[in-house]
Amino acid sequence: MVVATVFLLGLDLAQPASTSFLRAGAAAAFGPLERVLTAGRDNDVERLTRERDELARARRQDAATVQQAQEVTSVLALPAAKGARLLVARVVAFTPGSSVTSGSSSGARRVTIDVGSRDGVTKDLTVIAGTGLVGRVIAVAAWTSDVLVVGDRDLIVGVRVGKRGWFGSVSATPPVGATARGPGLLSLTLLQQGAVVVGDTVTTLGSIGGRPFVADIPVGTVVMTDPDRGQLTSTAGVEPVVDTATLDVVAVILTTPRSAPRAPATSAAK
Amino acid sequence: MRVRVSLLSLLRAALVVLAAALSAVVLPRLGPVGPDLVLLVVVAAALLGGPAKGALLGLGAGWTIDLMPPGAGALGVAALTYAAAGAVAGLWHRDSGRSASLPALATLAAASTVAAVGILRAVTSGWPVSWAAAGASTVMTTAVGLAVIPLLIRAERGLIRRRLA
Repeated sequence: MVVATVFLLGLDLAQPASTSFLRAGAAAAFGPLERVLTAGRDNDVERLTRERDELARARRQDAATVQQAQEVTSVLALPAAKGARLLVARVVAFTPGSSVTSGSSSGARRVTIDVGSRDGVTKDLTVIAGTGLVGRVIAVAAWTSDVLVVGDRDLIVGVRVGKRGWFGSVSATPPVGATARGPGLLSLTLLQQGAVVVGDTVTTLGSIGGRPFVADIPVGTVVMTDPDRGQLTSTAGVEPVVDTATLDVVAVILTTPRSAPRAPATSAAK
Repeated sequence: MRVRVSLLSLLRAALVVLAAALSAVVLPRLGPVGPDLVLLVVVAAALLGGPAKGALLGLGAGWTIDLMPPGAGALGVAALTYAAAGAVAGLWHRDSGRSASLPALATLAAASTVAAVGILRAVTSGWPVSWAAAGASTVMTTAVGLAVIPLLIRAERGLIRRRLA
């Protein structure tokens, strides 16, 4: 045994690679034993890794919650909806873009929100997001409602344009003869010949009783004006303020902005 | 006559509802156009069962699409479209032999049918026709179908072999 040991020692010193099979075999036998004996330390690593992953997940969730809270704050703080009762909702479903027969590619833009008749939603209420107009409620179920969104081929909004407050209407379908619009642009048609310039803001005109549209909600900004080709009224391209593709938190306006009778004023003329 | 509800038809119904819900909730958040998941279930069934069964499942699947909120358009349009697509896909049904190109061809034909109906509707209604979206959706549906339909067919064949269907 001693002779064999001395022989191996010499072999290992002279040619370390030649004894690697011994080391590998021993490692295969003793390695698992060592791992079992240090199981406590392995568990620590496992536990800490798990805790780290859980914390990272919680942090991501917190970030998402903060993001939603910001969106709720911004939708509640929209100046145009001051004093109105708002019902905050989340968008849960969109018109599928895949279904060519009914989908967004043919101009249908609708979303489903997670409030319904049990929450007090009725048909033809205005829906807003943090920056402006989203659309109007067209169908109400018990727990969800469907909203016709700005950019749908069926939605036409009466608007005021610019500082002078020209009357007009905004829709997704460009008028006959107008220049082609970029994707996502709306078409503005004035009721009369007016001077619309790029940069004019477009806000809702408002409907009787605030249905389907409450007044003074931002709709978009004029980004292009069509050249005068003898059409009866001015037309322009409007970029909507609300990005309808990434809608998340919206609010339904439950009350009309004004419910108290207005007091008459006395003339100040002398 | 007693109607026997088989496990396979229940599975297909569940798949159709799941696919329709996914394409309303998840896919629109990922991009403006996406693959047509419901059509894949219809095509798989049509490849196994032939034009009549494909049309029947397509009708049911189309009704699911029509009724899934938020929905758009007249009720029944998607039902008839998907019935036609199922019948078209069923033309590629073969009793024997397995080919890798059959599912792709059937998906392409069915997706083209759906796209053609959409374009026809847009043209006749005066809406803007989005050729790019229709083409992209067809290509994406075919691409996803290349991967998914063989799996669906294998799963359904497995059920039939175990006499569960």
